[in-house]
Amino acid sequence: MDLNYSEEQVMLREQIQKFCETEYDFYKREAVVKSSEDFDPKVWQLFADQGWLSMPFSEDSGGFGFGSIELSILFEEFGKSLVIEPYLATIVLSGLLLDKSPYADKNKLIDQICAGQIHISLAYAEVDKGYDYLSVNTTLNDEFCLNGTKTLVLNGANANKIIVTCSKNDQFGIAIVDADAEGVSINSFTTIDGQSCAEISFENTKIDESGLIVTGSDAKNLLNEVINLATLCVSSEAVGCMESCYLKTVEYTKGREQFGQPISNFQVLQHRMVDMFVESELSKSLLFKAMLEIDLDSNEKFKHVSALKAHIGKYGKLSAQDAVQLHGGMGVSDEMMIGHYLKKMVAIDALFGNADYHLKKFSS
Amino acid sequence: MYNEVLFYQSKYILKEIMNINFSKDDIAFRDEIREWLANDYPKHVKDKTDNGIALTKDDLTDYHKALSKKGWMGYNWPVEYGGTGWSATQLYIFNKEFGLAGCPPLLAFGVSMVAPVIWTFGNEEQKERFLPDILEFNTWWCQGYSEPGSGSDLASLKTKAVLENDHYIVNGAKTWTTLAQNADWIFCLVRTDNSGIKQEGISFLLIDMNTPGIEVKPIITIDGEHEVNSVFFSDVKVPVENLVGEEGKGWTYAKFLLAHERFGIASVGASMRQLNKLKEIVSKLSNSELQKKVNELEVSLSALEITELRLLSALENGGHPGAESSILKIKGTEMQQHLSELFVEASGEYAVMYPGPHGYNSNDKPAGPDFAANSLSAFLNLRKTSIYGGSNEIQKNIISKYVLGV
Repeated sequence: MDLNYSEEQVMLREQIQKFCETEYDFYKREAVVKSSEDFDPKVWQLFADQGWLSMPFSEDSGGFGFGSIELSILFEEFGKSLVIEPYLATIVLSGLLLDKSPYADKNKLIDQICAGQIHISLAYAEVDKGYDYLSVNTTLNDEFCLNGTKTLVLNGANANKIIVTCSKNDQFGIAIVDADAEGVSINSFTTIDGQSCAEISFENTKIDESGLIVTGSDAKNLLNEVINLATLCVSSEAVGCMESCYLKTVEYTKGREQFGQPISNFQVLQHRMVDMFVESELSKSLLFKAMLEIDLDSNEKFKHVSALKAHIGKYGKLSAQDAVQLHGGMGVSDEMMIGHYLKKMVAIDALFGNADYHLKKFSS
Repeated sequence: MYNEVLFYQSKYILKEIMNINFSKDDIAFRDEIREWLANDYPKHVKDKTDNGIALTKDDLTDYHKALSKKGWMGYNWPVEYGGTGWSATQLYIFNKEFGLAGCPPLLAFGVSMVAPVIWTFGNEEQKERFLPDILEFNTWWCQGYSEPGSGSDLASLKTKAVLENDHYIVNGAKTWTTLAQNADWIFCLVRTDNSGIKQEGISFLLIDMNTPGIEVKPIITIDGEHEVNSVFFSDVKVPVENLVGEEGKGWTYAKFLLAHERFGIASVGASMRQLNKLKEIVSKLSNSELQKKVNELEVSLSALEITELRLLSALENGGHPGAESSILKIKGTEMQQHLSELFVEASGEYAVMYPGPHGYNSNDKPAGPDFAANSLSAFLNLRKTSIYGGSNEIQKNIISKYVLGV
């Protein structure tokens, strides 16, 4: 047993931390969030230059072949700085789906993704289906025309291509389509955590036959795998947020004076900060278990992804709420970073199955 | 600058070395423990414990003697003093397996508490006199720390020891003394000097419970058990050679002892056993509210288990998990208490039944599920866990001071 990060993994974390400290200031982020752009393309290019976009792809596809531990490190650090760039949409949900798929043209697309030249989004959700992503109304007919509407497509408006879950002759399938193909209409919205998502409709949108990437149980397994990996990633982001929440709250209460002394002197606040610290550590422990199990060849390899997601869904939000409370009036001011962790935690809980959903999944 | 750090081309060198599995040797060790538990763990102790019946002094003695026979009494001792010399990982496995098998916790007062103080701060004569009897469980120890006026603020203790020729004359009272009614010896913190700050002037004395002037009075706890006592000292004569280390340094030794106490405090193995029982019970109840609580508890217990493994891993890598281990105390005890609450909930109306510490006569049991008879006693008994060993609030003060730095 060894639950220590390797030297290389520690170096990777330091590299990301340094980047976020020097290049990812909260006020710059806010300027981008309030602009017409959904993220900063210059930052995305820097991600590409550092090799972060190629990190999780297999070596056969020209990547570094890094696993879930490195991904979780990246997302933990992203969580601390509330990074809005669409790594989850383009790299994890779409890129890794392609990488693990039998799609013939995948290498060309992955090359372009790694270079930061294109974005791809995965359209996995539909209205009224809840978290049951395997149930779809979108159809692909015998003429290979797509019809239907997808919702909550992360980064959908910026995608050059869209990967769509659909059914063909009542069989589940995954297809890829150009975002500017005929019959595609995209309506973009901002999300509570400063990112964007889109509602995308397809009306007799014709795709190449080779564009139907995979069908049947292979398709279901593939979707299940990337959704679980994405769940691990956002949960890692939440773990990063939880750590920042308690650290920033400790720092704030040490500097804030009331009644002639720093408010960190008050035991009632100290114990709440200890609770935040303890829950952050427990969440981190579940992250260890989840990221080590997800690579196993086992029926239960996603069990602890659900345990983690259930835990951070509940305690992540509680931590962020406590952080807001302990910052007093400053906590509810949009100018301060601390309240934005709460928005992030709400968004993370809502994505890919909330706390109740995953608690049930964990124990079934 | 971030870009001064070269992106490491670790596709050539990186193989994930992090893993959560125990080594082959550790597995073999675990199997040896399981074998002992299956064959040599005294059956009458197992039967009583499984049925929630309080153990007598003889039961507990048989249990510890059996361990001693196997050579495991000094499970956390260095080889030098006749211990096993086990690694932190082996200790973890030992604790977990005993918990999973439902064994009563080992009595800590001799083997885990006074012994490390004796071999670290005592003289050669004291080591020879006391350590072998602890290893063979020939002497039963109890702990004289808390006093009626000194609980969490232990250093305020008042029991006085005055040196007269070659004896200390001890006067005062200790309280919450676990199983003092069975004890041959008590290790005590006593005040030998009042002149300085309260942490100074405390000394560490070993006192024979048969010395004239000692009186033990039971304290019955809310579960109806006689587990703890008051111990009164009036003009008790303690030979000066029973002083451990230096006079006035007792507080240092007490703190050292508390640091030794942490491991295994999460009780993960024992809680897992309880959880598995509870899951089986609740699966038959079709009570979705209770089921959800059980599921949440299972996630939290898993988080606690990995937290302990993370600390263990840091320890095995030469780290010094300090105040972080207070998490184990806080969460471990909350978990035990919460589990016992859910057993009470699962008992439904039968939770009102109170069999007392010795259980129902097997021919004369009231109706209702078997587990119900003990669920409330256990629930009441386990209230102590968040109070003893430094209350959970004290643990939070420790984390606040040493981890958060406030």
